[in-house]
Formats: sequence, structure tokens, C-alpha cells
Amino acid sequence: MLRLIVRREFVTRVRSRLFLIATGLLLVLVAGYIAVQALVFNRAVTTVTVGFTGQAQALAQPLKASTAGLDVRVETRTVPDLQAGENEVRSGSLDVLVSGDPVEPTVVVKDQLNPTVAAALTGLVRQGALNRAVSARGVDPAAIEAQVAAAKIDLTALSPTAAQRTQRTVAGVVVAILLYVALLVYGQLVAQGVVEEKANRIVEILLSTVRPRQLLLGKVIGIGLVGVLQLVLVGGVALVVAARTHVVSVPTIGVTAVVGGLVWFVLGFVLYALVYAAGAALVSRQEDVAAVTMPITMLIVGSYLALFWVLASPDNPVAVALTMLPPLAPVLMPARMASGDAQAWQVLLAVVLTVSTIAGLNALAARIYANSVLRIGARVRLREAWRGRQA
Amino acid sequence: MTVGGLELTGITKRYGDLTAVRDLTLQVQQGELFGFVGSNGAGKTTTMRIVLGVLTPDEGQVRWRGAPMTFETRRRTGYMPEERGLYPKMRVAEQLTYLAQLHGMSAADAARSVSGWLERFGLADRAADQLLNLSHGNQQRVQLTAAVVFDPLLLVLDEPFAGLDPEAVDVMSDVLRERADTGLPVIFSSHQLDLVERLCDRVGIIQRGHLIACGTVDELRAGGPRRLWVEAPAGWPDGLPGVRLVRADGPRALLELDPSTDDQVVLRAALAVGPVREFRRDRPSLLELFREAVSGPGLDASA
Repeated sequence: MLRLIVRREFVTRVRSRLFLIATGLLLVLVAGYIAVQALVFNRAVTTVTVGFTGQAQALAQPLKASTAGLDVRVETRTVPDLQAGENEVRSGSLDVLVSGDPVEPTVVVKDQLNPTVAAALTGLVRQGALNRAVSARGVDPAAIEAQVAAAKIDLTALSPTAAQRTQRTVAGVVVAILLYVALLVYGQLVAQGVVEEKANRIVEILLSTVRPRQLLLGKVIGIGLVGVLQLVLVGGVALVVAARTHVVSVPTIGVTAVVGGLVWFVLGFVLYALVYAAGAALVSRQEDVAAVTMPITMLIVGSYLALFWVLASPDNPVAVALTMLPPLAPVLMPARMASGDAQAWQVLLAVVLTVSTIAGLNALAARIYANSVLRIGARVRLREAWRGRQA
Repeated sequence: MTVGGLELTGITKRYGDLTAVRDLTLQVQQGELFGFVGSNGAGKTTTMRIVLGVLTPDEGQVRWRGAPMTFETRRRTGYMPEERGLYPKMRVAEQLTYLAQLHGMSAADAARSVSGWLERFGLADRAADQLLNLSHGNQQRVQLTAAVVFDPLLLVLDEPFAGLDPEAVDVMSDVLRERADTGLPVIFSSHQLDLVERLCDRVGIIQRGHLIACGTVDELRAGGPRRLWVEAPAGWPDGLPGVRLVRADGPRALLELDPSTDDQVVLRAALAVGPVREFRRDRPSLLELFREAVSGPGLDASA
């Protein structure tokens, strides 16, 4: 029974053109946003294509390895001979051509050599020369190399996460904005769904065979699943794009943001959907939905307005308290989780508070819904809806 | 009285100070087509919603086959609300299948039943269309299908004939008659009294929440005063004991007889004056019965 209702709510919405267009648009927006971020982040990174020919090919792998993590991306490939390589450098399809003895290679460029590549090549060549000189004196170069490799600096970072801070804050803002929009949109969908059934009287047919609580629950779950599907798609694409463009240096930032966002969407959606449904049950026309759900919408907008202040003052006790408060937690907590400010006990407390609020609202909303959804006509007063009597 | 069908006993429903239905008792037998007539706001819809369990009565009980009506029986009740309602943007067949399943049918049975009914109404080719793209008449057919598609045990239809074209009225009448003939109690309300008179086995007249008359149309007629239409030379009935002139229509007069008055005495009195062209028992239409019933007790109540 419940399954039937959930399926109808889910299928009719997922199949609608609106959902397909909105999801597509959202995917493009999020992927585009990350790609733009990646461009800004990676502007300093240039790609240098290096061609190797003859013995010099032995330098290809070491060059790649020694430039990994630097501000250039080296792409290497083999060129058949010197002449062909030079032609390619001239035409621009190769930036650098390396040929000859790996210890004393000839390097050809069009005008100038990228300094990072120059330094890396010089380092390799010097190492080769060192190896050769060392072996000429009867010493095993591998032993020397091991000793050299063992030498390292002792690094102390005074503020280790400072570099990640920006990425984390951006992730927090993105998640919070997505959740804010999703809660508003899906809350409204629930409200419209309730009024749709009430306005066209099908609710009378439905309630002769289904109990009001089931109808309400089926609607909330069905529409919620649509939201989860959409956010999973968006979150998944965001993670893939972020990984591909290296915009987030630590992958856990993205994963925390997406998983935290999903969990809080579910909690926040159920919380708000119940109130939206109860509110919408009071009116009989779609035109009245906005007015009756205004206070709920204001709460969600309020959490959005609080977002930037909360993220800017992570240690302020008022900000911490607001983050855990049920009406605001669904937007603020995932943002603070993504930004890395939320501590485990805070997350846990916020979840417990929200779940208990949902439990209380469930009974309240079901009662108001059951008492109002058949009363077609003027807006039902909240007190009447609670008592179930018409004045 | 057999306890085969639907029974309402002492149903009362109040909305604050307003009593929508007051101590209403009636039975609808299996296979019986019961017409519910009354002015707007008389309590028909409230009564039907109570039967459906969509409203709970303040007093009284709805019984089915001798036992209080359960949720399971209500699930097998076909209902057509007064202002029709289906999902406008849902496809016809999908919508009907969904409703049939909600009423307890398996997916396969539901699909079979839906296609059977759509076939019958000539809507098979519209099965995949959204409801709002159908004409008004076809939407009504779909609405009727929604009430009968799951093989209900009982049919309750609020104003099923409202807004139907003559052809659709025929279809609706046929389906209601046919469902009743398969043994279902069928209860419906209507303002089209000629239709109710023609179609229904029994009729209930409801006024301000009271069931003021209930029975076959003939029984309702029998309950009223005896009246005669007589066409005879003018002036003849004056002074006849136990006879009252209701109205004159040209040479014809409508007379109301006291219960003790013998109509043969009246006939002889008329013949004594001159030739009698017409002499017949007045058979009031349901409309006339309704008007009388509605005005009578209402006046009593206010006196």
C-alpha cells in the first residue's frame, strides 16, 4: 500500500520534463562551477610536451617522475628521429626535443625552455654525470644514491590545514546552498502535491482506501527519494569532476561534503516536508500554498542567511548552538561538516535533536493533515485542524 | 428484513452548531439501486462520506451484511465524489491501475480490468494519454471506471449524472443498473429526479439532515393524499363532502379526496352534472412528491 503510493509519487515526478531539465541544468551548473574553480586553481600549471629520440629515451620516465607535483605537467613521447623531432618543435606540436647521450643530451626548443623542465633535466643530467664519475672510481652508484635519497629536510608546518581551509569553506558553501535550494524546492513539491490531491478531490477517493497517515508518509517518502536521486547524481558528478580536475587536493573533503550533504538532506527534508504537508492541507487552492507555507520558507531562508556568519565564525558559541538547532541544522551542519569545523559530538547532538523533532512533528503533522485534508473551501484554522472540529 | 446489504442506523453528524445529518436510518439491499434526493446542503454528501469512512459520524453506525462496516469493506467500495477528482497529469491507464491496486487488486488483475473497462467505453486508444487531454465526457467515463474498476462490493456515487451529455447519461445508467443486477447495492444522489424515478428501485428524500421519505416511488405516491383529475362541466364539485379543489386547469380540475371519501361517489356526482371526459387517479412525478415532501415537514419543523 505504502509502496504503491511511494512509487506513484516517485515515478510521476522523475518522469516529468521539469525534473529532467532541472537535473540536467543542475549537473551542468555544478560541473561548470568546479571546472571554473579548477581553471583558477590550475592557471599556473602548464603542460610541456617533451619528445625523446635515441638513447635519450632513458630520460623520459625520470623526467616525468621528477616533475610530478610541480607547476608543470610533463607529457613525454618518443620521436622517430632527430629531423622529425625538430620539425615538430618548429611546428609547435612538441615543446622540447631531447636527443643523444642521456648524460650529455642535446635539447632543442623553439625559443626558450620552461625553467622547471630545465631544472629537472639539469638535475637528471647531473645525477647521471655523478653516477658515471662514481662508478669510474669503482664505487657502486646505487649505494651512493641510497645515501643521497635518505637525506631529507625536517619539515614543521605551523598551520598544517591552512591551505585546505579555503577548499573546505568553498565545499561547505556549495553544499549548504545546494541543500538550501533542495529543501525549498522539495518542500514546495510536497505542499503542492498535497494541495493537488485536495484541490481536485481525488483525496476523497484515496482516503476511502488509504489511511491519511499512509498517504502523507507515502508522499513524503516518494518525493524525498526524488530529491535523494537528484542529489546523488549531482554529488556523484561533482566528485568525479573534482577528482578529474584536481580542484580538491584532499579527496576526503569532497566525500565528507557529499555524504554529509545527503544525510542532512534526508533529515532536513523529512523535517520540513512534514510541516509543509500539514500547512498545505489547510488550504484548497494552489494559489494559497505560498501564503500558508511562508513561515516555513522563512525558516529555511533564515538558515541560509545565518550560513555565512556561521562559517566565518566557526568558534563562536552562538554559531555552534545555531548549527545544532533542528530548524537550522539541515543547512548549517553539513556546511560546517564540509568546512571541517564541526566536532563529532556536535554532529551527533544535531542528529539526535533533529530526529526527535521529526518524531514529534510526525504525530503533529499527521493529525493536522488528517483533520484538514478533506475540508475543502476556506483555509482551515490551525486550532480547528488540531482539534478536528469545524466551528 | 434481510441483512444482506448496507445499513445505516441512527447516523448523526454535527459540524459545530450545524447538524448536517440527524438520526438517519436506511437500508440498501444487495442488487438494489437506491436514489438519494434532496436540496443542496441537505446532507447527502455528508451521508455518503460517512458510508465511505471518510467522515466519522458523531452517533450511529454503518453496517455491512449485519456487522459494523470495516476498513476492509470500505476498501472494496467504489466511490465517485461530487466534484470529480483524478490526477489531471497522470496517464489514464496508469491512474486507473494505481487506484485499482490501492483498492486491493493485484497488478495483473488491475491491468486486465482497466483495459477491459477502457475497451468497453471506447477509450482503449486513449489509455496512454494524460487525463487532462481527454474531453469532458471521456473524463467522466474514466471517473466512472475509477469507481467500478476494482470490482467493488458496494457503489456510492455522489451526483454521477451531473454535467453529463445524454449519451453519457445512458452509459452511466446502464453501468449502474448492470452493477446492481450483479448483486451490488448501488447508492447514488442526483438532482435529476426524472432519472432517479426511472432508474431507481428505491428513493430516499433527505431534507435538512432528516430522511423524510424513503421507499419505492409507488410507495411514496401511496403515502400522499389521493388526488383525481376530472374533466366535467364547471362548478360541479362545489359542496361535495370530503373533496377539496386543489387547482383548476381549464375544464380539468385536480381534486384532493379525504381518506374516507369514495372516489365512485365523486364520479357519480360528476356524471350527474354532465358528460365526464376524463377521470383518472393523479400519479405525481417524483419531482412533485419531492416538492411536497420538502415543503411539508419543513413547515412543520418551523412551526
